[in-house]
Amino acid sequence: MTSGGALDGIRVLDLSGHIAAGYCGKLFADHGAEVVLVEPPEGFPTRRLPPFAPGVEVPEASGMHAYLSANKLSVVCARQRDLRALARGASLVIDHGVGDCRPMQIETLADVSPHAVLLSITWFGQGGPYKNFAGSDGVCQALTSQIDWLGESGGPPLIPGGYHAQMTAGLTAFIAAMGQVLARELGNNWGPSHLDVSIFEASICFTEIEATRAYSGQPIRTRIGVNRFRAIYPLGIYPCRDGWLGVTALTPSQWETFCRLLGLERLTRVERYWESLSRLEDADILDALIASRVREHSAVELARRGQSMRIPLSIVPTMEQLFDVDQYVDRGAFAAVTHPDLGAVQLPVTPFRLYEVPAKRGGRVSRLGADTDAALAGAGAST
Amino acid sequence: MSRPDFLRGLRIVDLSMGWAGPLATRHLADMGAEVIKVESCLRFDWFRGWEASQRWIDANEAEKHPPFNSMNRNKLDLTLDLSRGRGRDLLLRLIAISDVVIENFAASVLPKLGLEYEVFKRVKPEIVMVSMPGFGTTGPWRDYRAYGSTTEQAAGLPHLSGHPDSPPTMVHIALGDAVAGLNGAAAMLVALRHLRRTGQGQFVDLSHSECLFPLGVHGIAEQALTGCAPPRLGNRSRYSAPHGSYPCLNEAWIVVQVQNERQWAGMRQVIGESVARFGNLADRIDRADDLDDAIATWTSERSADEAMAALQEAGVAAGAVRQSNELIDDPQLKARAFWKFMEREFVGELPHAAAPYRTGGNHSASNGPRRRWASTIARFWSGCSG
Repeated sequence: MTSGGALDGIRVLDLSGHIAAGYCGKLFADHGAEVVLVEPPEGFPTRRLPPFAPGVEVPEASGMHAYLSANKLSVVCARQRDLRALARGASLVIDHGVGDCRPMQIETLADVSPHAVLLSITWFGQGGPYKNFAGSDGVCQALTSQIDWLGESGGPPLIPGGYHAQMTAGLTAFIAAMGQVLARELGNNWGPSHLDVSIFEASICFTEIEATRAYSGQPIRTRIGVNRFRAIYPLGIYPCRDGWLGVTALTPSQWETFCRLLGLERLTRVERYWESLSRLEDADILDALIASRVREHSAVELARRGQSMRIPLSIVPTMEQLFDVDQYVDRGAFAAVTHPDLGAVQLPVTPFRLYEVPAKRGGRVSRLGADTDAALAGAGAST
Repeated sequence: MSRPDFLRGLRIVDLSMGWAGPLATRHLADMGAEVIKVESCLRFDWFRGWEASQRWIDANEAEKHPPFNSMNRNKLDLTLDLSRGRGRDLLLRLIAISDVVIENFAASVLPKLGLEYEVFKRVKPEIVMVSMPGFGTTGPWRDYRAYGSTTEQAAGLPHLSGHPDSPPTMVHIALGDAVAGLNGAAAMLVALRHLRRTGQGQFVDLSHSECLFPLGVHGIAEQALTGCAPPRLGNRSRYSAPHGSYPCLNEAWIVVQVQNERQWAGMRQVIGESVARFGNLADRIDRADDLDDAIATWTSERSADEAMAALQEAGVAAGAVRQSNELIDDPQLKARAFWKFMEREFVGELPHAAAPYRTGGNHSASNGPRRRWASTIARFWSGCSG
């Protein structure tokens, strides 16, 4: 049976059950690959991640797990023999398993699936002094220097909410794994391939530019307040009558147009303010002026008018508003992920869109072990 | 160090500028695809800088800007005047012998030049075209302008960070750019796989702001499941404690996120007496102010690296808050040879972040940008002969 997706015919085994592996596998699954979650009896760690659906018990209650696991199969497996059967013909195995499912060694994998790519996603990679360090998203964001930019001047660096490092690493791992899958199909690389992805190193995509600028002797960026970033001003978020307005005015013409939009033409005559850095020096004064004007208006209306005057303004939708933003409704940015216990949950679709072979929108999430019998029988393993 | 040739035989025409598009093609260039960067004679890649004074031109500054050089390594570069017939013809000839064309202009730019998917398809029916404007190529916002900051705002992410009494809080100066760039690379690889298998090309688009939704999906899912967004708690968490950044010697800081009771036991062992009075997770969250004070007392007597080493030794997730200029010397990155020092004309040796994946122990990457651009820039200033 073909999935009809762009990645039809690719088989992925995920033994690891963490967020980065889950997101990497999700991109495969959404584009039509067969992705099998090989879970320990208690289920993957992602099943214990908040948020939880009210009235539903772990291991089925997690919204994160539902998002990461739509269109995948869930197999509970504790025997090497079954694992080997499942791995037969796999294109990709994501290792570093948990519980009783130990990650297979590449030698073993090569017997059952000679061309499979083995992918290890770990916090710090397979070597180096931090190899055994405990990781977290915040720890990565600290070590990459990103959060040195966040927070009040001299105050504690602010830890962003969520799983930025792990999601970014999952996406990076997908690129790495797809590169290897494609290399095989192009006939460029048939040898054994063990991919080593470090979540920490993947997170450096957010700060590499600053690091190389600093190396070249340019001044480093450090935190100077909430929503303030050297040397762009205004770049921030202001309260309006009905919500929040996101502002970036970088070039002289954007600044001038922004002032006109708010009826602050007199500011355009202050020559000093033609420079973004000088505006930043007076940010407290200018913020008060901007806020006093913005608050009289609707965010939606200001963003629309600003954009018609070619300045990059945006509403800053709350989580509640997000589902109703006309742009996202028009593009179908959310779709229902269904789960026997959670019902239909509106979640984001895969962000890049192939128009001839579209990715699946939403999809079905399996309960823990729901596909065990079928998958093992299909793989020729005894149950 | 030579590049791997995993993607040997693939050719990409790259019309993109700035950060996101060039990062997308950098990943494929690092894996061995041939990427031909096409810059406009009339408007070159703004990541080279904006100044364009005579002094700037004379000093070859267009070749020196570190962000530009980082994003464009391993690519060929040429300039074309796409507003003229000859420039357009040359571009179409190039597309006719390529697999992918990628661009990140505002949605209306290429159609105005008579350059769009339908036109490219005529000269190369199986071309893959990836368009990546800020909000995608469809919908009421398709012509909206956006920086990487605008897309972070539009994705609603600022409602998931910061203190409850602060406005919604941004976490980067241009968060959307790197994430959209990675998605662009992923999109090309998926479309190329389909092309390889079926011979069918296609149009692909992405919206930078939608690319950011996965970074906020914990909040989106909570809203969808419970009808409420997660509260903003600054550096605190509803699910773990201690959780925050703590002061160290020399005005440095350390982040600690204790994720489970095993890590908490490790922390108690390292810090000792002063945190022994705190009990289970509920108690620690309840008395988070006292707990943070006790930890800060301990961290403030140590350097961030000392504190990190001691806590990590006990299995606790802890990381020193680096400054941008310390990243090159980070011991982990050094040990793994993450920074590749490469020579480039006009600038000398520059560190490049390697592609963050290794095969068989080696990073995919990395030569510096290959071509000198001085001649093309000079042509730009002398009126662009095309």
